[in-house]
Amino acid sequence: MTTHETAKSSSTADAVSKESPNRADGRSSDRLSFSARVTLALGFGGLLAIMALAGIDGIRVLRQIIRSDNMIRRQFLSENHALNDIRSELYLSGTYVRDYLLEPDPERAESYRASLKEVHGEMDAAMKSYGQPPVAPQATHYAELAEQLSRYWSTLDPIFRWDAAQRRAEGYAFLRDEVFPRRAAMLELASRIEAINEQQLNEGNQRVDQLLSALQTRLGVTLLAALLLGLGTAALSTQKILRLEAQAQAQYREVVEARGQLKELSTRLVQAQESERRVLSRELHDEVGQALSAALVELRNLSSELGPSLTEQSNGHLAAVKSLVENSVRVVRNMALLLRPSMLDDLGLVPALRWQAREVSKRTSIDVSVATELGPDELPDAYKTSIYRVVQEALNNCARHSQAKTVRVKIRRESSRLILSIQDDGQGFDVAQTKGLGLLGIQERVASLGGKCEIHSELGGGTILAVELPWNDVGSSEVHA
Amino acid sequence: MKPIRILLADDHTIMRGGLRLLLERQAGFSVVSEASDGRQAVEQAEATKPDVAVLDIAMPNLSGIEAAARISEILPQTAIVILSMHSDEGYVLRALKAGAKAYLLKDSAESDLIQAIRAASNGKAFFSPEISRILVEDYVREMGRRGAEDSYQLLTPREREILQLLAEGKSNKDIATQLNLSLYTVETHRRNLQEKLNLHSLAELILYAVRKGIIS
Repeated sequence: MTTHETAKSSSTADAVSKESPNRADGRSSDRLSFSARVTLALGFGGLLAIMALAGIDGIRVLRQIIRSDNMIRRQFLSENHALNDIRSELYLSGTYVRDYLLEPDPERAESYRASLKEVHGEMDAAMKSYGQPPVAPQATHYAELAEQLSRYWSTLDPIFRWDAAQRRAEGYAFLRDEVFPRRAAMLELASRIEAINEQQLNEGNQRVDQLLSALQTRLGVTLLAALLLGLGTAALSTQKILRLEAQAQAQYREVVEARGQLKELSTRLVQAQESERRVLSRELHDEVGQALSAALVELRNLSSELGPSLTEQSNGHLAAVKSLVENSVRVVRNMALLLRPSMLDDLGLVPALRWQAREVSKRTSIDVSVATELGPDELPDAYKTSIYRVVQEALNNCARHSQAKTVRVKIRRESSRLILSIQDDGQGFDVAQTKGLGLLGIQERVASLGGKCEIHSELGGGTILAVELPWNDVGSSEVHA
Repeated sequence: MKPIRILLADDHTIMRGGLRLLLERQAGFSVVSEASDGRQAVEQAEATKPDVAVLDIAMPNLSGIEAAARISEILPQTAIVILSMHSDEGYVLRALKAGAKAYLLKDSAESDLIQAIRAASNGKAFFSPEISRILVEDYVREMGRRGAEDSYQLLTPREREILQLLAEGKSNKDIATQLNLSLYTVETHRRNLQEKLNLHSLAELILYAVRKGIIS
């Protein structure tokens, strides 16, 4: 049975050691996650940069568009305005010329002449306000218009020197031959300039439209790029997160499994140890002890048969052998009890605990009491053994470290739980800093029965070890040791 | 005088042989049968109806304590002497509850065994000196530590007398006759003294008497 146990244990140990390659995987995934981190940073950084650039670019282009649009419109309006002024003043000048030429009254004629002069000045101002047109074909037309205008006015110059008679005689013909054709030609020129202006306005508008559509395209491209990059980044991060999650889950499962195996292993170890102790204790007590006792009986028989005939020296030897054997019987008995008290199997948990309490009381100066409402043989074997060992360990700890005067061991049932408490009035200890093998052993045994174990201790305030074991009535949760 | 007829039960042949030799050498002792386990002991007891059954506790099939319980049930006239390796009071109490009259350790002197068999066959209790010493020591230590008042002081002289007779194995009726009291009075005394001492069975009462040194 023991070799079987060992084989099982070693197979569990193998299973545990097989976990290590997976752990190496975990380390390579760390390296992987570094490059992934760089990728993610680039992805998110690129995304932000694209969006910022797109925003800045959009604002810049929009400003440009607004500016050029305003400029075009302003230019068009001012040019148109000047052109209209010129045109109306041209008409006006024609009218004044006619009125001047056809007016017989010299005083009135003189006033027309003055008006004409005024119109001439205004027209010059309008021409000036039109400004210097930048490029052909406007420039040529403008130059032509300016030249024709100056010629027009210079044509008009002689008539101011005419007297009334001459005006009457030649005025009409002058109007018909000089003024009207020139005026018509200039008006036509002005219309042409206007048409060109309009065309330029249209061209300007078209340019603005082009700018706008270019901006649209660029924004579209940027958005598309951002979208693609965003999608890529999102996909990458999602994949990464999912993989990490899967890894974490796998590791968690691994840890849980390993812990379970360890627990099982330690439970089996404890069980194996316990059964070894039981066998050894029985063997010592029942075989060696009994044999020694039998030897003792035989020795007594021998001494009573030979007694009278023996020399004093031989009697002395016989007595020495007897006392040696008696001593050995005691030693064997004590050893057996230390290994595993026979009361635990013969009489049950409570008598064994009471014996243990008495032994500790005898050995130390601690008053150990056991209080319980448990009946005899109420507990399955695994419970008996575990509780006994837990109490033994706790009492050992008390004896060694606590300097307690009294220890109370209590066991009680509470519906489906079995509650064990061991309370001393010793010096206590810092629970967080102390984790001896004894406490670990206690926790191990309690955990193997699915129970809980708590230690409360205060420096100078004693210690309570409280153990809670699940218990669904007799034997239903029995664990075979 | 009729010899005391003895049943010997021990799973160790050498032990049994040695004991037989030891007992047969005594005048007035006769080993009528032997058994190597508990079940056999019960069967042999039924077959031979011995005066005294000397039983080991650790025996295969049926422990000495179980065997003692069965024998004392079937054969109330057979006195039971437990011969054991165990010195703990748990075993002593269990043995007494199973109806044993005497309890000895295997390494006790041969005179103790002879004395025990004699006492048991006369219906008296007997404990080997080591057992008595352990029980008394435990008791004294316990009383000393607790500082509790000795409940024995609470007993009346009559109750002490009755306690001793009970511990020696006498029945209520025997005591009534011996002390010239009515059975009812003896029962009342017994109830009172058990209550005062917080003892719940005859076995506990005997153990108490041993601890107090009232009997040995």
